[in-house]
Amino acid sequence: MNYKGDIYYIEQILAGNSNSFSYVVERHKNKAYNLAFRICGNHEEAEEIAQDSFLKAYRSLKSFKMKSSFATWLYRIVYNTAISHVRIKKKRVLSLEDFPADATDFIGNNTSEEEAEKEYMSSVVNFALQKITEEERGLISLYYYEEMNTEEISDVTGISKSNIKVKLFRARQKMLEIIEKVEMKKFIYYE
Amino acid sequence: MNNQEKYNDDLLRKYISPEKIEKAPEGFTSRVMTHIQIETIPSAGTGGSKKKNLVPVISAVVTILLIAAAFLIPGSESDSLTSEVLDLIKSTKFSLPEIDLSSIFRLNLPSVLIYVFIGILLLTAFDRALYEIFHREK
Repeated sequence: MNYKGDIYYIEQILAGNSNSFSYVVERHKNKAYNLAFRICGNHEEAEEIAQDSFLKAYRSLKSFKMKSSFATWLYRIVYNTAISHVRIKKKRVLSLEDFPADATDFIGNNTSEEEAEKEYMSSVVNFALQKITEEERGLISLYYYEEMNTEEISDVTGISKSNIKVKLFRARQKMLEIIEKVEMKKFIYYE
Repeated sequence: MNNQEKYNDDLLRKYISPEKIEKAPEGFTSRVMTHIQIETIPSAGTGGSKKKNLVPVISAVVTILLIAAAFLIPGSESDSLTSEVLDLIKSTKFSLPEIDLSSIFRLNLPSVLIYVFIGILLLTAFDRALYEIFHREK
């Protein structure tokens, strides 16, 4: 399908053609879902958050100023929805024991060793993400997964650029410490 | 970014690959669109709720008009409009029935109570009529 650009479809929706919103959802669903998943760490909740965010975006489409990018505006909604969702839920704090020490747990029937290693790495990162605060998770996701710069992150989160740098520095350090501990546990397990 | 930050950044990038993004599940778009269709359909109901919201407005207007009438229509002297209205009321020859409660219930209740009961019945009927008008959409 040839996507005509967000603004084209938004104008269609505002003119009364609500079905045009399906093109917008189709275009942005994966990124919205990914951000929600990285912040809440759960597939069911991520879907709920992403759906809720698209509905909020649809309802307040009239307030969208077409000067900024629609993606940034939508990310702001997803980010805020996910952060409030997690704050309400107040999840159980994970301990290191919750992470499987055996990397073979990530090897399926048809997965190669390389794929299993990638799976393992991804799970380590997800585990580490769940050990930092929801705000830090959001910043790490926007910076590393969405590859946004600090200015774009500032537009999404409303946090100042200098504050983002400080928070990212702390979040990185925390994550690396957790990853190190997980790796150490794996090392001890195989010894 | 200083050296330590650069080192941490590089190290974390080894673990995080941007291409490994979590994809939205199958049928995500259609589920969102179903919610949107549901939201757009009850726009007819909004008219109903607007109509329902008219009840306090009508009540307030009627009350204000009655209060204004009480102040504006003189009690003793009567102008042409007032006298016409009073004549119209008199011409209906409306009077409340005289019912002797004590003969029915053998109780010595004040006779004003019968008017209170009749008033309650009339107001109930009026309330029911308003309810039927404003809740017809349901």
